[in-house]
Amino acid sequence: MLRQRLTHIAMSLFVTWQTLAIVVAPAPGSYLSDALRTVMQPYLTLLRLDSQWDFFAPNVGEGSRLRYIVEDKDGRQHTFNPAKQLSWFHPNYFWVRGWYYAIMDDPEIYADAAIERFCKEHAALHPVAVTLLEMQEERFTREDFLAGKDRNDPHFFNARTIKHAQCPE
Amino acid sequence: MTFASFLRARLAALSDLWSRIWFQDRPTTPLEITRIGVGIALLIHYALATPYLSDLWGDNGWVPRDVAITNDPWSLSLLFGVTSPWQLAAFHYVFLASCVAFILGWRTSWVKWFLLIGQISYDHRDPLLFYGVDKILAALLFIMCLAPVGRAISLDRVRAVRAAKRKNLGATLPQFTSQWTGACTRLMQIQMATLFFYSAVSKLGGNDWWYGDAVWYVFTTDEHYSPILLRIFASQYWLVNLATYGTILIELGYVFLIWQRATRLYLLALALFLHAQFALLMGLYYFSFTMMMGHMGFVRPEWLTNLGLAWKTKIGAMEMIYDGRCGFCVRSMVWFLAFDGLQQIGIRNFRIDPSPVVSDEKMEKALYLVLPDGRALPGFEAYRYAVLRVPGLWWMVPFFYIPVLSRAVGTPVYNYIASHRSQISTIFISAQRGA
Repeated sequence: MLRQRLTHIAMSLFVTWQTLAIVVAPAPGSYLSDALRTVMQPYLTLLRLDSQWDFFAPNVGEGSRLRYIVEDKDGRQHTFNPAKQLSWFHPNYFWVRGWYYAIMDDPEIYADAAIERFCKEHAALHPVAVTLLEMQEERFTREDFLAGKDRNDPHFFNARTIKHAQCPE
Repeated sequence: MTFASFLRARLAALSDLWSRIWFQDRPTTPLEITRIGVGIALLIHYALATPYLSDLWGDNGWVPRDVAITNDPWSLSLLFGVTSPWQLAAFHYVFLASCVAFILGWRTSWVKWFLLIGQISYDHRDPLLFYGVDKILAALLFIMCLAPVGRAISLDRVRAVRAAKRKNLGATLPQFTSQWTGACTRLMQIQMATLFFYSAVSKLGGNDWWYGDAVWYVFTTDEHYSPILLRIFASQYWLVNLATYGTILIELGYVFLIWQRATRLYLLALALFLHAQFALLMGLYYFSFTMMMGHMGFVRPEWLTNLGLAWKTKIGAMEMIYDGRCGFCVRSMVWFLAFDGLQQIGIRNFRIDPSPVVSDEKMEKALYLVLPDGRALPGFEAYRYAVLRVPGLWWMVPFFYIPVLSRAVGTPVYNYIASHRSQISTIFISAQRGA
């Protein structure tokens, strides 16, 4: 009887804890949620439960596209849109984009390795240097569409140079 | 009534309410659907990652080890200890094998933990890959690790039934239920409802959703760009408003109405519809399928029971008549019937209970299956008929239904075994005694 009661109490305590974790993890910052989070953070991190559920929220937001320019030994420039080769039907559609976003967001960590990789990938061009660019999307409204404009028109992108580096010898 | 007794009564009532919310005796069947679905999703997802192992999780890949290892002592990964490509490959293939075991429900009680640890290890080793689907997977996998999954629609269940039938062929194992299953099911439900709640309210903070334009902008982003949909939406912009507000309404409605008996089925259908749209229109197949599996926590066990009963009624009762004197025959029956989870096939030992439909003379030559319409099928044809109509045996359909070949090989093999069953039985018994 005592064992049953203790089991019941233990189960109750755990489900309360787990429910709190489910609710606190995505909660916005507040005095209460921050206090609870201080206690729960190790548990949330260990089990990968520290997740937000803000898909396309609060706004859809404009994305960015990675471009890179390979300069060959003759000085010619070749522009590549690497995400274009990816297919919806393969999960690398999102994996590779995750890497591209990391290159754009944290170039000090990821840019050099990416440049080295692109140099190797395009070895047939005899690359000398690679320039990484972030093409930041501008809003494309319904009015733009009805006016006959193309979403991929350069007018709807801001180009930002992420890094320019020589290819390794 | 004194204050103390009033308090005692209130506490008792609260305790009773708490138990009714959390600790209802429930079967694991809805969680098993989640288990199978999540296992399939993980298997396909990570199997497709195989050619990219070194890029995704290798030391010379996208995320160097020293970048992945953060100062957070709780951000742990078994892959931090992997120092060579063969170790990474071994980890990966063991993970894939665990996915298969998880789907089949084989040794589920420990396989599920390896799956969870593996999934978290992959996530922490390369955080760049972590997106929506991985968040929900982590949550669902953990709950399934806590829950006693593998007790139904699984090889573990088949093994348990087989053990019972070895002692008594007619034995049936009751459906596993427990209060802890009820608690874990409730946790999964709370997880899904919380997810939808935060998803909805975080959207309401933005103008895109508030003014009904969000769905238009989704399809203008590079990730989900669709010129066909934009053309349709531009001319029928009311569809954008409908889809935008509809998404929020479904997410919010789900949070409050999914709990009600009268509305659960409709909100489930709406949620599944929503995710089907994400899959088909946005290419979010993995995410959508995983979310659908999460929603299975709201499937009532009685729906599945009724579905099973409807199936049994549609197919009709079958009776397998066997030779109880033949040890090999009985063992074969044990093995075969262990997969008959819906108990569609009755049994009759013609030695002690002769059949009014099939003569003993015919029974000496083959096992028979008596059909609902009174026909009796012998041997190979009996098995062939049954495997198509018993869900637990559907995995055997490819073997029994290869055009021409199945019958050409199966019938003579069966007839040989049937006519030599005494000798085969003796060989088996000798082998067992020797072992």
